[in-house]
Amino acid sequence: MADEALFLLLHNEMVSGVYKSAEQGEVENGRCITKLENMGFRVGQGLIERRNTVLLLVDLFRFTKDTARFKDELDIMKFICKDFWTTVFKKQIDNLRTNHQGIYVLQDNKFRLLTQMSAGKQYLEHASKYLAFTCGLIRGGLSNLGIKSIVTAEVSSMPACKFQVMIQKL
Amino acid sequence: MTVHNLYLFDRNGVCLYYSEWHRKKQAGIPKEEEYKLMYGMLFSIRSFVSKMSPLDMKDGFLAFQTSRYKLHYYETPTGIKVVMNTDLGVGPIRDVLHHIYSALYVELVVKNPLCPLGQTVQSELFRSRLDSYVRSLPFFSARAG
Repeated sequence: MADEALFLLLHNEMVSGVYKSAEQGEVENGRCITKLENMGFRVGQGLIERRNTVLLLVDLFRFTKDTARFKDELDIMKFICKDFWTTVFKKQIDNLRTNHQGIYVLQDNKFRLLTQMSAGKQYLEHASKYLAFTCGLIRGGLSNLGIKSIVTAEVSSMPACKFQVMIQKL
Repeated sequence: MTVHNLYLFDRNGVCLYYSEWHRKKQAGIPKEEEYKLMYGMLFSIRSFVSKMSPLDMKDGFLAFQTSRYKLHYYETPTGIKVVMNTDLGVGPIRDVLHHIYSALYVELVVKNPLCPLGQTVQSELFRSRLDSYVRSLPFFSARAG
């Protein structure tokens, strides 16, 4: 449990640090969110290089001879929802939806970085600051698995939130 | 058996939170002064208790009681003080006060980046969880007993 608190507190300090050192206009034009997202991206890239990932790729090579593109993608997204999310947040994504055309919605009903903030609408306007790093985390993880994407997040009622992943066809 | 009210102070004497459930008589002074009075009294009593103790101190000041109510006290090494007033039938509740500190204050205030430390707690989540917790205690009854 100790390292969970450490990550949480460190993440909160990071967000507050980025906003405190923001220059004129950076808060309004979204530059702070971008900085946090980029940090998450680099962490995600590093974090995805783990034993589990190697095992996943071996499975993919063995079982997807006909390499239907969406099937690999779906398996990778499922990996993100299960193993990757568990590694970082000690729980899995609660719901994964897709339109099978490169858009995935990952729903977490009790997002670990928001559970201690509010159970409804209080502080809702600040929620996006605390989601930016995680969006980058997903984007970075996918990037090192060979998938280019855009990840955004939305919250309508804390602590539930949705991460939307749009796969970019190269 | 019931809980009358609860105070939460930090190490600088700032009243972080106050809530009441059954209080028939007010102090007759503004709330700010009441908090200062409570804090000052606690500070003095802790020092008195340790000075005058005929034996080596273990936990220090724990509670006092009058003919109508009992005041329970719990302090952490970081100086957070939890004070709960209950009626007389209630025994030692150190574990309850510890739970309020660790499972509620630490989880919902310390770990909430939007709750600055050293200021009164504005978090709705903290308020509602604390309220449900107190109401669920075995010695809390909805009618003031």
